[in-house]
Amino acid sequence: MNESISNLWSIPLFIIIPILAAILLNVLYSRKRAISVTAVVSSLALIVVSVLSPFGFHWFTGQPAVLPTGGYTYRADLLGWNLALEYYYGPLQQIAIFLASVLLLFVVLIAINSLKKNTGTYISLLFLTFMSAAIVIMVNDFYHLWIGVEIGSLIVAGVVLATGEAVSQKAALKYTFFSALSGAGLAIALALILGVTGYANISDAIIAMPLNDASLASVLYVAFGFTVLSWIYAGGLAPIHPLKADVYGSAFPHATILLQTQSKLMLVAIGLVILRLFGTLPFAKEVMLSVSVLTMMIGVVMAMLQTDFRWTLAYLIVSHSGLVTLGISLGTVQGIIGGLFQAVNDVVYMSVLLLACEGIYYFGRGTSIKTVSGIAKRAPWLAVAAIIGAFAASGVPPFNGFQSEIILIQASLNYGMPELAIVVLMVSVTTFIALFKGIYNIFLRPDDAPQAGEKQGMPVPRMLYVCLAALIFITILFGVYPQLAINFLNEAALKVVYIPWVP
Amino acid sequence: MIELNLQFLSFMAAAVLVVIGLGGMLFLDNLIKKIIAFTLLSDGVNLALVTLGYVEGGIVSILEPGTSGAAFPTNAVLIFGPGIVLTNIVIGVSTTAVLVAVTMVLYQRYGTLKASKVLKGERK
Amino acid sequence: MIDAFMVIAYVMVIGIAIGAVAALLQKDLLRAAFLSGAESIALAFLFQALLAPDLGLTQAIVATVLMPGIIIIGIFKTRRHEEE
Repeated sequence: MNESISNLWSIPLFIIIPILAAILLNVLYSRKRAISVTAVVSSLALIVVSVLSPFGFHWFTGQPAVLPTGGYTYRADLLGWNLALEYYYGPLQQIAIFLASVLLLFVVLIAINSLKKNTGTYISLLFLTFMSAAIVIMVNDFYHLWIGVEIGSLIVAGVVLATGEAVSQKAALKYTFFSALSGAGLAIALALILGVTGYANISDAIIAMPLNDASLASVLYVAFGFTVLSWIYAGGLAPIHPLKADVYGSAFPHATILLQTQSKLMLVAIGLVILRLFGTLPFAKEVMLSVSVLTMMIGVVMAMLQTDFRWTLAYLIVSHSGLVTLGISLGTVQGIIGGLFQAVNDVVYMSVLLLACEGIYYFGRGTSIKTVSGIAKRAPWLAVAAIIGAFAASGVPPFNGFQSEIILIQASLNYGMPELAIVVLMVSVTTFIALFKGIYNIFLRPDDAPQAGEKQGMPVPRMLYVCLAALIFITILFGVYPQLAINFLNEAALKVVYIPWVP
Repeated sequence: MIELNLQFLSFMAAAVLVVIGLGGMLFLDNLIKKIIAFTLLSDGVNLALVTLGYVEGGIVSILEPGTSGAAFPTNAVLIFGPGIVLTNIVIGVSTTAVLVAVTMVLYQRYGTLKASKVLKGERK
Repeated sequence: MIDAFMVIAYVMVIGIAIGAVAALLQKDLLRAAFLSGAESIALAFLFQALLAPDLGLTQAIVATVLMPGIIIIGIFKTRRHEEE
C-alpha cells in the first residue's frame, strides 16, 4: 500500500503490451497457431503485470502534479501552466484491470476457437478495446481521458462490424456518427476547463477551480454539460441508450463481454472525474441522479419487451449501468463503494450470462426465444450456468449481485431518498422476470419433435465451459466474501469524497 | 457595439460551421453528405478551440532562441487550443475513414445511400 | 488601419461560411467533397492568421489530400449523384 512518488514501470506496460500484440496479430492475419500463442501469452502477461505491480504514479511529461498533502512538487513557471500528464495505479485500478485482463483472456480463447477467418484483425481489435478501458480507468488528466474515450468508441465500431450482419453495420454507423458529437463535446469541455484553471491535470484543475467566481459559473456549467454528455455516451446511459444497446446486442456475445467491461470502466472513471471536479456545483448530483434513474427504468422496460435473448441482455446491461451510476452520483462514501462494487459484479455476472448466450448460439443456431427451445436436455450445464447468472443479476443472496445491491439500497436510504431504494428493488425484480422469460423459453420449453433432428447445432468449444466455471467461481466468491472486493474499493471512495484532488 | 475583430469573426465562422454541420448530420438524407457535414462540424470545433486561445497582437507560442523568457507567457497565444486541435484533426480523419468504410459496406448491401432507407429497419 | 494579412483573414472567414453552405447544397457528391476541401484549406489560412502555424500546416495536408481523398474513394465505390 506504500505509494511511491516515482515513475512506475508497470503502467506503460498496460498500454504497450496491447498495442504491440495488436500490431503483431494484425500482421499474422490468419495463421491460427501463431495467433493463439501471441494472444494468450500477451493476455497472460497483462494479468501477471496487474497482479505484481505496486501502486503509484507515472508521468508522461516527467512532472509530478499535486502531492497527497496538497502542495506542488513541480511547477513550470516558464509557460505559466503545468502539463502533468499523469496515470495513477491504485487498488481500484488494480481490481478493474485484473478483471478486464482475465475477461480478455477468456474472450481471446473463445474467439480463437469460434472465428473462421480474419481472426488476427478481430483479436487485435479486442486487445485495443482492453487498452482503451485501461487508459480511461488509470488516467488523471483530461487529455488522455479524451483520447481514451475517442479511441475506445472507434474500436467499438470495429468490433461490432466483425459480425458482418446488417444490424451490426447499422449500429456501428450510428454509434460512430454520435461519437463525433460526444468527442467534440468532451474536447470543448476540456478546453474550457483548461482555459478556466490552466491545468490539464485533474488534480491541479480541482485545486485551481474558481468555484466562487460568479462570472465563470456559466463556463463551468457548459463544461459540466459537455462532460456529462460524453459520460452518457461512453457509458450508454438513458437518453441515448439505444445506440449502446444496439452495439451490445449486435456484436458477438463474447465480444460484448469486453465491450460492456470497457463501458463500465469508462462509466466509473468519467463519473468519478465529474464527481471530483463538479461535485460541489449546485444541481450536479441531481442531474446525475436523474440520468441514472431514467436509465434504470427505461433499460428494464425495454429488456422486458425483447424477444431475443441477446437483446434482452443488451438492455439489461444498460439498465444495470444505471445502478452503477446511481451509486456514484449519490456522492457518499457508501454510495460510491456500492457503485464501484456493482460495476465489478456487473462485469462478472453479465459475462456469465453472455457466455451462456454464446453457448445457446452454438446449440440453437440463434438466440431468439421464438425459434430456440428445449436446450436444457442437450446442454444441462449451460442451463445451470445461465440460471446462476440470472440469480446473480437479480440479486439473490448467495451470489455477488445481492451484496452490491444491498449496499446501494442502504446508501440511498442513508442519503434520505428511499424512492431510489425502491427503484433499485424494482430493477432487480424486473431483471429476474426478463431473464427468466428468456431462460424458460430457451432451456425448459419442450422442443418441437419434428425439428429436433434437423436443428443440429455447432459443436461448443470446451473452453467455453472452463471460462463459465471460472466466472461462476468469481461470482460466488464475491457473493460469500464481499470484503475481498470491497477492500480494493474503499480507498478510492474515501479519496473521492474527502480528498478529491488526490487521484 | 460589438467590435468586429478577428477573434469575434472567427467565433462566428466556427458557430456557422458547427450549426451547418449539426444540421447537415441531423437533417440530410444522404450518407456521404452526412459525412461531409461531420467534417464541417469537426472543423468548426477545431476553429473554436484555436480561437479560444488567440491573443490579440500576441506572438506564436514557439520558444525561439531570441525570445525573452519574461515576456513570453503574457504575449504568447495559449497553447491548449493547438495541443487539442492537433489530436482532433487526426481523430477526425480516422473517424471519417471508419464512416466511409461502413457506408461502402452498407451500400453494397442495400444499393442506396439514403439514410432513411438504409437505417429503416428490422430490429430483431 | 487594416493590413493585407487581416484582409486575407476576413476573406477566409467569409469563404469558410460560403464553402460550408455550398458544399451541402450540391447534388453532385464529388463537387461537394471538393468544396468541403476548399473550405478546409480556407480554415488552414485562418489558423495561420490566428497565430497557430503548426496547425495551419497540418490542416493544409489533411484538407488537400486526406479528407477529400477518403471521401472520394467512398464516392467511387458507391455512387456519384444523390438519389431523388
